[in-house]
Amino acid sequence: MRSLLLRIFAAFWSIILITIIVAAVIGYTYAERTRVALQNFEVGDAVFEASAALQENGREGLTDWLRNLPGPAEKLFYIVDDKGRDLLGRRLPEVIRVSLKRFGDRDSRPPRHRRDRPNLRPARPFTQLIGPDERVYTLFVVPPHTVKAQWLVDRGLGGLVLLALLISAVVSLVLARTLSRPIMQLRSSANAIAEGKLDTRVAEDIGSRRDEIGLLAADFDRMANELQRAWQKQTELTRNVSHELRSPLARLRVALELVRRKTGDLDELDKIDVETERLDELIGRILEYSRLDADSRERLSNIDLGDLLRSVVDDVRYEYGELGSNVSIELNADVTSTTSGYPGALRSCFENVLRNAVQHGRDDGHVCVHLEKEGSQAVIVVEDQGGGVPDDELKKIFEPFYRSRTPQNATRRSGGLGLAIASRAATLNGGTISARNSANGLRVEIRLPLTTDRIVPSNQ
Amino acid sequence: MNTPDAKILIIDDDRELGEMLAEFLSPDHLDVRACLTGEDGLEALRNETYDLLILDIMLPGMNGLDVLKALRERSDIPVIMLTARGDDVDRILGLEFGADDYLAKPFNPRELLARIKAILRRTRSDERRGGSVAVGKLEFDVRSRRVEAGGQSIRLTGTEFELLRCLAESPGEVVSKEQLAREVLGRRHMPYDRSIDTHISNVRRKLSDAGVDNPSIQSQRGIGYLLLVDERGA
Repeated sequence: MRSLLLRIFAAFWSIILITIIVAAVIGYTYAERTRVALQNFEVGDAVFEASAALQENGREGLTDWLRNLPGPAEKLFYIVDDKGRDLLGRRLPEVIRVSLKRFGDRDSRPPRHRRDRPNLRPARPFTQLIGPDERVYTLFVVPPHTVKAQWLVDRGLGGLVLLALLISAVVSLVLARTLSRPIMQLRSSANAIAEGKLDTRVAEDIGSRRDEIGLLAADFDRMANELQRAWQKQTELTRNVSHELRSPLARLRVALELVRRKTGDLDELDKIDVETERLDELIGRILEYSRLDADSRERLSNIDLGDLLRSVVDDVRYEYGELGSNVSIELNADVTSTTSGYPGALRSCFENVLRNAVQHGRDDGHVCVHLEKEGSQAVIVVEDQGGGVPDDELKKIFEPFYRSRTPQNATRRSGGLGLAIASRAATLNGGTISARNSANGLRVEIRLPLTTDRIVPSNQ
Repeated sequence: MNTPDAKILIIDDDRELGEMLAEFLSPDHLDVRACLTGEDGLEALRNETYDLLILDIMLPGMNGLDVLKALRERSDIPVIMLTARGDDVDRILGLEFGADDYLAKPFNPRELLARIKAILRRTRSDERRGGSVAVGKLEFDVRSRRVEAGGQSIRLTGTEFELLRCLAESPGEVVSKEQLAREVLGRRHMPYDRSIDTHISNVRRKLSDAGVDNPSIQSQRGIGYLLLVDERGA
């Protein structure tokens, strides 16, 4: 029973159930005690005592006798005077009133059963006592089961309990729902925010509640506001930095072309051109890296890993020309591997790992991309033949701007952000990335959770 | 390549860049005027006829996408937009709003010149060629760059029109993205470039909005696109 709804429902309902059982037990015990008490109580003796009390002390004596009867028995005896009132001033049970009305207070004939209300037998006057003042007192003995709710009992105690359970079930269910419904709403809103819909708020649905859940909803919205504001600031900053750093570069490149027109092609100008481009690429990488932190701009969607890998390999082959022709891709054919993630970030992850492999492999070395399913995970392996890195550096290569100590890598490495971006992008997609040295080079392994069922149809 | 005089408007808040570009483009008989804000740019486009617009997406105040949206409601002027490198969202939105091509800033000015020439050449050759072609339910009027289906006119940007016409020249045959990029955008198809795909999806959307299901554009994964004509339905 994991659901809050079920738990609250079960708790309340079982409490009500226990209450019913306890009440039934108490009721039964009480009835039993009455029965036992009456067993030892001789009605004949009682009438004799009553008569003696009346003769001795008149009406008051009789009243005292009635008042002093033992607990359970007191409720059985009613003594009605000639004006039709009980001596103790108690309200007369209906059975006695019917009896009085129908037979008159002096009539002692045995009453007949009424057909229309078979359960309501008129109480039979047990005896009549005549006091010293010649007044007539009628003594009634009311059988213990002639209580008014008798008909309910006669319909069956089972039915009664069932009815109580039914009502209490409905009430418990309503109560449980009023508690769990807003929590489910909060949950779906929290999920929506996690998926990048930062404008999600809950006040409209549950903010009007004045209880603790209403307060929680207000706090939730405040948190969402802050989150959205922080994200907007971050996005704005990223855009501004991008704009501010790149505007001078744009001017530089146009100026460079103008100079080239005046002086003709110079090797130095080409060099400036290349370095400008490099600077631009580096700025791009830094922005890409910082953006991955709070990249909620993308929507989660189902991604076919095979498709994505093929497309990335195509792009990299194209980008690196001859070097790129060494890239081979091997997809486990019988597997359609779908992961739920951010397509842009995941593409950037694969691209950077692959670029790193192509850049660090030997010119004639092959780079192998391999996709396989392992349990509930997709395993993507990118293996180059570039000689690998020292074992103690295997974790550090995923840190930003880390430069390998091996001279070969140090000279050929560019940017130093590629694997850091890949690592962040893998984490963002709920996966892991690791590297180890294989026989000829570096083997980078990306593990991503597979989606078993396609909830969202792919956009392709 | 001999390009006749053309008037170009640049909307970019970087004054110096605009001035340098004007200087850079002038030897190629391109008459450049620069505006610093989107509002000024739209005003200039209302008052004068330009052959091409270079539009920066990052503008203070009214941003480039808003300018593009407002512009496309009344004009089919070719637009090259300038985006920040790596900002895919702006780039895709820009193409969806009807930009003809894009360049990431900072761009190589020679690349910009090549794109301008490609677009102008295309526009001019259409004006010379004229005539009309019919494929399936579609009718192309090449001179006015209009496509009609059942008397209903479908509004396409210059690039979208060219893509559709390029596919219509050989219906039922796959045209590679390479070829489409070369013929329509006047450049090589670059890796990581999704602009052909974006343009195609725009054309598809506009066709389906107009209720045209014949011909339909099919994609061949990894290769290109083809225009499929159902002769029975034609």
